[in-house]
Amino acid sequence: MLLVIVSGLAVGALYAATALVYNVMFSTSKVLSVTTGHICMLGGVFGAWLVSDLGVPSVIALAGAALVGGAFGFLTEIVAVRRVLSRPVEHLWLLTTLAMATMVQQAVGLWWGTEPRPFPRLIPQDFSAGVLDQKYWLPVITVIIMALGLEFFYRRTMYGKVFVAMSEDVFAAQARGIATSRVRSLSYIIAGALGAVAGFAAGQLTFAFFAVGHGLTLYGFIALAAGGLGSNLGALVGGLALGLFSTFATYFFGGEYQQTIAVGLLIIILLLKPEGLFGQRQVRAV
Amino acid sequence: MKERMLGAGLLRAIVAAGVVATSGLVSQTALAAQPIKIGWLSSLTGPLSSAATAENQGVQFAVEEINKAGGINGQQIELLTRDTAGDPTKAVNFAQQLLFRDKVNFIIGPVNSGESLATGPIAAKAGIPNIVIGSIDELTDPKKFPLAFRPINTNTQWIKSANDYALNVLKRSKVAVIGDTSGYGTSSAKTAAELLKKAGVEPVYTALVDPNKTDLSDEISKARAAGADVLMPWSAATGLLGRLLNTRGDMQWDVPVVGHPSLMALPIKELLNKPEYWEGVYAAGYVSTTYGADGKLPERTQALMDAIRPKLGGEINFTFWWVALGYDTVKVIEHAVKKAGSTDPKAIQAALENTAKLEGVYATYSWGPDQRNGFPDSAMVVNRANSFKDGSFELAPQ
Repeated sequence: MLLVIVSGLAVGALYAATALVYNVMFSTSKVLSVTTGHICMLGGVFGAWLVSDLGVPSVIALAGAALVGGAFGFLTEIVAVRRVLSRPVEHLWLLTTLAMATMVQQAVGLWWGTEPRPFPRLIPQDFSAGVLDQKYWLPVITVIIMALGLEFFYRRTMYGKVFVAMSEDVFAAQARGIATSRVRSLSYIIAGALGAVAGFAAGQLTFAFFAVGHGLTLYGFIALAAGGLGSNLGALVGGLALGLFSTFATYFFGGEYQQTIAVGLLIIILLLKPEGLFGQRQVRAV
Repeated sequence: MKERMLGAGLLRAIVAAGVVATSGLVSQTALAAQPIKIGWLSSLTGPLSSAATAENQGVQFAVEEINKAGGINGQQIELLTRDTAGDPTKAVNFAQQLLFRDKVNFIIGPVNSGESLATGPIAAKAGIPNIVIGSIDELTDPKKFPLAFRPINTNTQWIKSANDYALNVLKRSKVAVIGDTSGYGTSSAKTAAELLKKAGVEPVYTALVDPNKTDLSDEISKARAAGADVLMPWSAATGLLGRLLNTRGDMQWDVPVVGHPSLMALPIKELLNKPEYWEGVYAAGYVSTTYGADGKLPERTQALMDAIRPKLGGEINFTFWWVALGYDTVKVIEHAVKKAGSTDPKAIQAALENTAKLEGVYATYSWGPDQRNGFPDSAMVVNRANSFKDGSFELAPQ
């Protein structure tokens, strides 16, 4: 039973990290990029490639994966978001980010192969460690550091405050002289790097697999919607809760019901509290 | 005046006769030059691409070999390959193109059962023979798809052969059946449980697992708690199978595992935490790719391997039966056309319905008026999962 809880926390941590990445991108662009899950996939795949195929030490591989993620985030912003935001057609970014996600998945599939490949052991540890196995604890520790880091960034650094300003009112921020397009690019780079780090930490859970992205995009979104769009605490709580809920549902009801129950949870929460657990109610002045 | 008209008329008649005669000659040679078109729906990218790319090698090699020898009855084979990427929608679109625009004479594939479920009815409606290479039982039916003939084994044959090994050779009786939540996994787990019950054994534990589920600890723990003495997984997802074997190994449970051929796929080797986790694992396999007691492969398998090895680049580090199967699909078409004397679908149907003991590399095939599955039970075996060598495997201990 303890193992069920621990594995639920681990996979929930990955969902929470994905939700945090959504938040960072959403804060400056109001875009929910479909590429979020694929950023994590890139972290896992490139991490495995750097350590296993090129023999790079884990810490440098982590930095390398973060670099790849940041670059992909930047590319997403340039190609799929920047031009699209200025168009009057609403939600066009959904299509463009979906296109980016599909392209990156197929490209990685062609290069890396379509079978899951192993992610290396990062810290020497015996495989009979049970609940203390690093594959459970690395994602949890990583997401906590990520959440704390983001809080520090938003409250104590200038750029963080600029992000918050942009998320509240873009035009007012522009009026105050903030280069909103550059800040947006920066936010996508940061989001990409964070997502890749999360994917790297969770690599031993997911294996280095090209098709991990779609599932994470969906589950990360469920975690975000349940926890509250724009709230980092909500993302953390929502993700961990979703992970625990899914594993309990599988444990008691069976694997066929896992996805049904996860989405059912989302529907119930949204019916009861549409803005999510920690979200802010949108008030529109009339 | 009349003479001149008659003369002109005669001249015209002679010219007309000449034109008809030469056009008759031309159309004769045109017919001989008309190629036999084979449409090949293969998921060269996407899921099960490793199987498809290996099958593709076999198909292409067979086509080249036949064309070099002069074709079938003097007609060259034109192979039209379409990459469906494992997507049933693409498979359907390509099938329609091949059938109605390119007007192929035969369709081989698609590779994945899911795609084949979608394209089978289309080929049947178009009245074009379809060589089926998916394993799900519903893909062939003498009444619904009279022109669909299957050389690969059926899913039931895989399951029966594994059940037989677990129950009668390993003498186990408390079976845990684990499938994945895909269409294949769900139906296979159901079939496996039904066949076990027919053999008088009720599974002690059944579970369906999402192929991407990151941790299988609870399923394996529950199976152990239920007292299982053999695990039987039915999934082609190497990630899931790798995790299953890792969990079993990490908790130091030495229960045997007997099931889907993917248990012996090479990608599993890399996913295992320790190589010894592959011990005590057995998978349904084939006589054609099993080393005999003398360490030798069946003659026809060896012959094809020797012939195709230069093309494959020397070492064979994937399961060879896919190549053998691909090769055989084209040879089955060659046999059918030669026996029927034409590519007329009705004649092809009659020719294949009356084919018994057609010797291929992958197996020896027999079809009949009410039998569209040509793979014999006797060609199934169970292999040791960790015995891969140069494309083939060793027999599981009897």
